[in-house]
Amino acid sequence: MLRYIARRIALALPALFGLVVLTFILSRVIPGDPAATLAGDSATPAQLADIRARYGLDRPIMEQAWVHMRQVLSGDLGNSIFSGRPVAEDIARRLPATLELTFVALLIATCLGIPLGLVAALNHNGPIDHLVRVLSVGGLAVASFWLAIMLQLQFSMEWDVLPLRGRMDVPLGMPARVTGFLLIDTLLAGRGDMFVDALRHLVLPGVTLALPGLATIARFTRSGVLEALQKDYVLYARAAGYGRFRLATIFVLRNAITVTVTQIGLLFGALISGAVAIEAVFDWPGLGTYAVQAILSADYKALLAVTLVVGVIYAVVNVLVDIAQAMIDPRVALQ
Amino acid sequence: MKRHLLRACLAFGLLAAPQVTQAQAPRPLVWGDTLPATLDPHAIFDVPSQFVLLNVYDGLYRYQGNPPRLEPWLAESHTVSADGLTWDFTLRAGVRFHDGSVMTAEDVVYSFRRLLTMNRGPASAFTPVLAPERVTATGPLSVRFVLSSAYAPFLSAMPLVAIVNPRAIAPNVANNDWGAAWLAVNSAGSGAYSVVAGNYQTRVSLDIQRFADFFRGWAGNPRPVETVRVRPVMETSTRVLALLRGEIDATDSYLPTDQVERVERNARTRVARDESMRVFTIRMNNMRAPFNNRDARLCLTHAFNYEGFNNVILRGFVVRNAGPNPNNLWGNPPDLAPYAFDLAKAREHCDRARAAGVDFSRPLEIHVQNELEQTVQAAQMFQADLRRVGITLRIVPNTWPGITGSTSRSETTPDMWIHWVSTYFVDPENWVGQMYDSQFHGTWKASSWYSNPEVDRLLRAARTNLSQEERQRLYAEATRLVVADAPDIWVYNTVNLRGLTRRVQGYSFSPVGSGGEIRLMSLTE
Amino acid sequence: MTALRHLMRDPVAAFGLLLVLFALFVAAFAPWLAPFPDDAFESNIMQRLRPPSREFLFGTDNLGRDIFSRVILGTRSALLVAVSVVLAAMMIGVPIGLLAGWRDGWVSEGLMRFTDVFLAVPQLILALALGQLLAPGIFTAMVALALTYWPFFARTVFAETRRLRGALFVDALAGIGAHPARILFLHVLPNAAPAVLVRATIGMGFTILTAAILGFLGVGATPPTPDWGLAVAEARQHLPDAWWFATFPGLAILFLVLGFNLLGDGLRDAADPRLRRSRH
Repeated sequence: MLRYIARRIALALPALFGLVVLTFILSRVIPGDPAATLAGDSATPAQLADIRARYGLDRPIMEQAWVHMRQVLSGDLGNSIFSGRPVAEDIARRLPATLELTFVALLIATCLGIPLGLVAALNHNGPIDHLVRVLSVGGLAVASFWLAIMLQLQFSMEWDVLPLRGRMDVPLGMPARVTGFLLIDTLLAGRGDMFVDALRHLVLPGVTLALPGLATIARFTRSGVLEALQKDYVLYARAAGYGRFRLATIFVLRNAITVTVTQIGLLFGALISGAVAIEAVFDWPGLGTYAVQAILSADYKALLAVTLVVGVIYAVVNVLVDIAQAMIDPRVALQ
Repeated sequence: MKRHLLRACLAFGLLAAPQVTQAQAPRPLVWGDTLPATLDPHAIFDVPSQFVLLNVYDGLYRYQGNPPRLEPWLAESHTVSADGLTWDFTLRAGVRFHDGSVMTAEDVVYSFRRLLTMNRGPASAFTPVLAPERVTATGPLSVRFVLSSAYAPFLSAMPLVAIVNPRAIAPNVANNDWGAAWLAVNSAGSGAYSVVAGNYQTRVSLDIQRFADFFRGWAGNPRPVETVRVRPVMETSTRVLALLRGEIDATDSYLPTDQVERVERNARTRVARDESMRVFTIRMNNMRAPFNNRDARLCLTHAFNYEGFNNVILRGFVVRNAGPNPNNLWGNPPDLAPYAFDLAKAREHCDRARAAGVDFSRPLEIHVQNELEQTVQAAQMFQADLRRVGITLRIVPNTWPGITGSTSRSETTPDMWIHWVSTYFVDPENWVGQMYDSQFHGTWKASSWYSNPEVDRLLRAARTNLSQEERQRLYAEATRLVVADAPDIWVYNTVNLRGLTRRVQGYSFSPVGSGGEIRLMSLTE
Repeated sequence: MTALRHLMRDPVAAFGLLLVLFALFVAAFAPWLAPFPDDAFESNIMQRLRPPSREFLFGTDNLGRDIFSRVILGTRSALLVAVSVVLAAMMIGVPIGLLAGWRDGWVSEGLMRFTDVFLAVPQLILALALGQLLAPGIFTAMVALALTYWPFFARTVFAETRRLRGALFVDALAGIGAHPARILFLHVLPNAAPAVLVRATIGMGFTILTAAILGFLGVGATPPTPDWGLAVAEARQHLPDAWWFATFPGLAILFLVLGFNLLGDGLRDAADPRLRRSRH
C-alpha cells in the first residue's frame, strides 16, 4: 500500500513539470504585451523599449522560459507584472477563499448527491427515479451565472434572507488571519457572530457551485449502484434475507462508490478553476477571477503561478483519490 | 420590514461583539468602485488609480470642480521663464506627511526623480522633456524644473505626480527598486486619508482613514467621513443590487444607462450625472485600404446612427461630440458641425470612392472591448447599418491589452476599433494633440495613423507656445482640419453616471478623479 | 431495435428523445420557422428591450432584435458546436483511455500523466492562447473545448478498461488468442460504452455552457451570431429588469442539454441487457 502511494506521488511530478512548460509557452502567446501593462496607458515607444530592456522582456522567448523555470523550481513564483508584489502573496490570499467555497460545494454535492443517486437506483424506473433523473440533469443544464443571479434576486433582494455578495458583511470587519479559511478563523477568534455571517455568505455561492456536481455525483452513483445490484453476491444476500437498505449501504454502495470517487476527484479540479462566473457574480475573491484578471492585463507571471498552483492541487487531489480508491477496493493497489 | 430587521440585527451584532472603535460611529462609507492594481502612484496611471492619487496623496497642483480649474495645491505659486524652459515652484509651508514629518523641496525633487527613473505610467507626460537631474531644490521650499524644450501642457500635467515621503520609503527599498514593492501595498503620502496597511488586498479591499493633520484642514467640512472601505464589486448587476440594498454607498462611474431609472426610483439611492471629458471614438486605420481614401472614410462616418446610439441605446445620457476634443474643453473651433447619420450621403461618398478605385469587397474588421458593453452594441448597430450601404463589417471581440499591444505598427493595427479617450490632463494636447500628431505613431492614442504635415505643424506649435490665446487658435485650426479629413468617428462625450446612496453628501465631480475625492463628503446618518 | 423499443417504454428517456428530435427539426428548418429571420444580423433600436408580446413572443433584446427568432436560429450553432466538440474529444480520449487501461507500466503511466497535464490546464488559458494562434472565433473555441475535454473521456475509459480487464470474458478471449485490438474495440469498448455515453451527454451541456464563458472573454461566437450562450452573456447587464433577455436563451440551453442527458441515460439503461431483467 505504501509503495503504491509513493509511486503515485512520484509519477505526478513529470506531469507538473510538463504543465509548467506548456503553460509558459501558452501564456506568452496570449494577446497582450506585459511591457505595455507595466509602462501604462500613455507610454511612448521609448518608454516601452526601456521597460522591455529593464524587465528582460526583449530576450528570446526560450531564454525567458529558462529563467522563469529556474525561478519557479527554486520556489520563487515571481512578481506580478502589475503590482510588483510577489505573486505568491496574492495567491496565498485568494487560495483559501476558493478552497473554502469548493469544499462547501463538494460537501453539499456529495451529501445530497450520493443519497439521491442511491434512492433513484433502488427505485429504478419508479416515479422517484424519474424525478431525480430529471432534476439532477436540470442541475447540469442550467447556466451557472444565470442561476447565481436568479438566486441572488430571489433570496437576497426579494426575501432578504441571505447575503448578496462577498465573504462577510463589510461593517463586521475580518477576523485575524490564521488559515485564511473564514469558518476556521472566526472560530479561532471566538467570534460566533462572524462565524454565522461567514456561513450565511457561503450558502448561495456554495449551492450554485454544487449543483452541477450534485447532478454528476447523483447520476454516477445511480448508474454504479444499478450495476452493482446485478452482481451475484447481492442476489445471494437478498435471498439470505438482508433488508434493501442494509443491502444498499453495506454491499452495494461500497462497491459502486469507486467510480463516484473518481468523479469527485475530477469535480474538484473543475470546481477550483471553473468557478469564475460564480466568483464574479457573488464577488468572491478567489483564484478564478484572479486568473481572468491576469489574462486581461497580460500578467503572465500571475497566470503561470495560478496554473501551477491549480495543477499542484489537482495532482494532490488525484493522488488522494487514487489512494481512497485503493482503500475502498483493495484490488486497485495490486495493479 | 425585512430591511429594518436586517439593520436591527446588524446593529445588535455590532454592539454585542467586543468592538474596538466603531460601536458609536456611523457605518463606514463603503465605496464600490474599482481598485487599481497597485497603490504606488508612480507606477500606474489609470482611472482607478486616481482614487488613491486624490485621497492619499497630493500634487503640486490639483484640478477641482467641473469645468475643471487648475488650483495650486502643495505649491503656492509658480513662475515660468520667457523661453518656457525653466519653471520655478514655491511650495506651501507646514505640510505634514502621514508620519508627521514636514514636506520640503527635497521631497518634491525625490518624488519627481523617482517618477522619471521608474519610467512607468504617469512619467509619459514628462519624459520627452524632463530629465531627472533637471529637477532641483533651489531653497527649502522652492523647486526648479528645467525642460529640454518648451512644453505648454507642463503645468496641466502637474496633478499627475504624487509627492511621496522619502523617509517612509527609504527603509523599505530592496534591490534598487525605489521601494516599489513596498509602496505597492503601503502609502507614503500627505493626503486627506491614509491607507490602513493591514487590510489591503490587491483589487479586493482597501481601507483608508482620515488624516487629522491634513494641510488644508477640515474646517470646510463639519462632519467629514472618518473611514472609507473600498470594496469593488466585480459584476455590474451585483453592484447595482448592492447599492440598492445599501451594502455599498457608491458604484463605479460607469453605471449602465439602462439601470439609471431603477437607481433613481429607489428611495435609498440616486444617480449623480455630470458631464465629463471622455470622448467615445471609433478609430480607423488610415494607412490601410479602404481607409486611406477620404471618401471611403466619409462614407462610414455618415453611416453611423449617432442619434439612435446616443438617444435610444444610451437613453440620452451622453452628449454628441463633433470632434476629438470634448465639447466642454477650450480649443474647439466655435462653429464645428458634427457629422450626421445620412445613408444617402454615405452611398454618395462610397460611390465616389469606388469610382476612384477603392475596393469594398473585403469585410472590414472592427475590434471591440468585450468587457465594455457599449463598444459591442455600437459595433453591432454599425454593422447593421453598413449592410445597407453595401459594406460588410466583421466584429472581433478583443481586450484592451490585446488591442493596444497591436497598435505599435500600422500593419498589425486593426482596421477599426472602439474606445474612449479619458482625461489624463485637462488640455487639448491630451486629445487632438496626442491623437493626430504623427510623432505619436505607435501609441494607442495615435492608432489611426493619421498624417498631415499642416496639422503636425499646428499641433507642435501649440505644444510649445505659452500663450493661452495663441494655443487656443492653433488647436481650433488643427481640430477643424482634422474633422474635415474624418480620420476617425467621434460619437459622444460621456456623462459620468455614478450610483450613490442618498446619505452621501458633498459629492463633487471633476473629470479628473470622477468625483472620488472623499474629503469633501459627509454622511447624513 | 429491442433497445429502441425499451427506450420507448421509459417515459423520461422518451421525453429526452423528443426534445432532441425537436431541436434537430428546429435546427433544420430554422430560417423558415423564425418569424424574423433577418434578426440574425439586423438591429432595430427603436424597439429595444420590449417585453414578450404577441408580435415578439420572447421580447426583444438590447438592439431590438426578436429573441424568439434568435433562439430558433441559434439552435443550429448550439447543436453543431456541442456535437462536434464531443465527437472530437471522444476520438482523442477514447483510444488513449483504452490503451492506458489495457497496458501496464510506462505506456499506461505515461499516457495518464499526459492526460493529467491537459486536465490541469485551465480552459480559459488554452482557449485564449489558441485564439491567438488561430483566428478568434467559434471554430477556435471548439478546438480549445475539444482539447480540454478529451481527458475526461480518457479517464473514464481508463477506469472502465481497468475494471473490465480483470473480467472473466476478457481472460477467455485472450486465452483463445484474440488480438488485443480486437478485444479492446469489439469487446471492451462496447462494455465501456455506457459510461462513455453518460460522459458524452454531460459533455454536451458542459460544452455549451463553457462556450458562453469563452464568448465573454472573446474566444467564442462573435456578435451578431444568434448563439444562445452569447445572448446570455450579453443579457447579464440588463438583469433583472429585462429578464426575458437571459431567460429564454437560458431555457433553450436548459432544455437541449436536458434532452441530451435524458436520452443518454435512457440509451444506457436500454442498451445494458443485464438491467432489463431487474425491474424491481
